[in-house]
Amino acid sequence: MATTRKKTTGKSKSPAGGVTADRELCLKMFRTMALQRAVEDRMVTMYRQGEMLGSVYTGHWHEAIAVGTAAAIRQGDFLCPLHRDVGAHLWRGMPPWQIMASFLGKATGPTGGRDGTLHYGRPDLNIYNPCSHVPDNVPVATGGAFAFKYRGEDGLALCYFGDGATGNGGYHEAMNIAAVMSLPCIFICENNQFAYSTPLRLTTHADFYKKAAGYGMPGVKVDGTDAVAVYEATAEAARRARAGEGPTLIECVTMRMHGHAEHDPASYVPREMLAEWAKRDPVELFAARLQKLGHATEAEIAAIRENVRQEALAARKKALGDPMPVATNIEEGVYAD
Amino acid sequence: MPTNKEQVAEEVTYLDAISQALAAEMERDESVFLMGEDVGQFGGAFKISKGFMERFGARRVVDTPIAENGFTGMAAGAAICGLRPVVEFQFADFISQAFDPIINVMARHHYRTGVPVPVTLRCPFGGRLRAGPTHSQSIESYFAHVPGLKIVAPATVEDAAGLLISSIRDNNPVLFLESKYLYRRLKVPAPLSLEPTPLGVAKVAREGTDVTLVSYSVGVQQGLEAAEVLAREGISVEVIDCRTLVPLDIDTIVKSVKKTSRAVVLHEAARRLGYGAEIASEIGEACFWFLDAPVTRIAALNTPIPTSPPLEDAVLPQTEEVIETLRKVARS
Ligand SMILES: Cc1ncc(C[n+]2csc(CCOP(=O)(O)OP(=O)(O)O)c2C)c(N)n1
Repeated sequence: MATTRKKTTGKSKSPAGGVTADRELCLKMFRTMALQRAVEDRMVTMYRQGEMLGSVYTGHWHEAIAVGTAAAIRQGDFLCPLHRDVGAHLWRGMPPWQIMASFLGKATGPTGGRDGTLHYGRPDLNIYNPCSHVPDNVPVATGGAFAFKYRGEDGLALCYFGDGATGNGGYHEAMNIAAVMSLPCIFICENNQFAYSTPLRLTTHADFYKKAAGYGMPGVKVDGTDAVAVYEATAEAARRARAGEGPTLIECVTMRMHGHAEHDPASYVPREMLAEWAKRDPVELFAARLQKLGHATEAEIAAIRENVRQEALAARKKALGDPMPVATNIEEGVYAD
Repeated sequence: MPTNKEQVAEEVTYLDAISQALAAEMERDESVFLMGEDVGQFGGAFKISKGFMERFGARRVVDTPIAENGFTGMAAGAAICGLRPVVEFQFADFISQAFDPIINVMARHHYRTGVPVPVTLRCPFGGRLRAGPTHSQSIESYFAHVPGLKIVAPATVEDAAGLLISSIRDNNPVLFLESKYLYRRLKVPAPLSLEPTPLGVAKVAREGTDVTLVSYSVGVQQGLEAAEVLAREGISVEVIDCRTLVPLDIDTIVKSVKKTSRAVVLHEAARRLGYGAEIASEIGEACFWFLDAPVTRIAALNTPIPTSPPLEDAVLPQTEEVIETLRKVARS
């Protein structure tokens, strides 16, 4: 089956000796993770300064998941991110100012102000623009996977969802369909312990990765703070998908370190839990690993950090200065020609 | 001499028309495929896709699990990624399970992103088959309120084909309402032309001068019957077939009402907030100074649709009621 499939665009690296053997790839992943952190920290400040239209959703401690997954697939693959996955957008080439523009309702945001906050995507970068309904991008992703298979291409779809979203029927339907039709789809469960205020024990009575067996697809659990582990698991799932072996569920375990969004002080989260997870900052962990591997010195890491901080500051400046949309054409585009 | 069997085959039903049009579009465009429950080897609950599996193969005639939300969302994703899915709901009633992907994904995606979502949602709908409260519903009003969807409801064999072709070629999500009552009752001589009928263009199904009856789907056939009876009494009824509800060709309707000065709107859906309320309101605004009688609605009672014949008949509009109402309005 694999041999008859047409190749989709873009390269994904599967370096011999694993991702850690590829210094250039590792540094790019690190920079993107650090950029996600810098952009989101900046957006938190902007929220506090009253600059944002509404609340701000952040992906602190999700950076290794967003970047590790996006880096392990090709640019031509269909990517369906959600609110914790800024790093996946950045990896694909979305500029930070445009993400901010979405939260500001600017004309230069990906939807020109027609949608806002975290509901953005870039069709030209094969990034789906999700709607609010958090489980809905799972069936949509299976459709993208279906389209690749239908055309005999070896592309795949990769979608993200939180632990909370897995309670939804559409999610189960899509998982089942993907398995039954053996679709080239990768399901990334971002288990961050909470769905808004709802703790894991009120969401599920079983481990997410084990539920994959119920659909007849492999389920793996990885440390969601470990970019290398996430990358390797995704690369294997991608290999299976491209070879016609069907979907994979990857449960990435991490913690939601901020509130559901910045308006939420998350007083329901035990402080000890936050303190425990604070020791496992994915960006710090990857920085330490790069130094240990000899891929970067402490000074080089610090330079990258300063560089992305400056990029986030410049992004804010541009986004704030960008024009608001004008309501002249609001009735256009309800229908396609 | 043709045998009896061949003579039968020389007629095309409303159902055949849908089947032929769908097959023709699948022949014409590789990106068109059919998906739904039992559509493959079984040929669909109503046999629209009989023989499709042999002709197009399992790749393009896709049997799905019973998962309306999942497979409708999947159709959205496939369309966003360049395919043109045709989704068969086994009965229109089951589309309630798929509200979310239709409303929140399909209907908004182009407006937000500029990416078209060309999906045709085929829905066998309506009553009169003694199928009861959850197999007889008219679903158009649920969706007519949602910007971004088109709604098509053919009343004739020719339109069943022509409008389906246009729906499939359209770059938007289209709800295609198939009258399962008309499926095998309506026939025309073969062969059927497989030309597209444009969306958004109503048709004067019968010309008349005294009163305008506006309807769609099975109501048009009922209206034509009533018009025939009333013609014998000297009442001339103009019957307008909307064909598409969204977009609605209000100009054709208004032109007719300005001529006749009287309007009756008929449908099988429940009266309260049925699509007729919208049509009546548009007529009222556009034709106020032309009207000789209030715009009048004929619709189902505001009840679920019962199963047993005397009960279902009491709920859905019957031809006798259509005749009486038209007579009353024409003489007022
Ligand atoms: C269908 C639906 N119901 C409710 C919401 C409101 N909502 C937005 S995010 C969220 C929590 C999601 O939790 P989870 O899926 O675990 O993702 P997380 O935010 O923790 O990353 C809720 C309830 C929604 N977006 N969609």
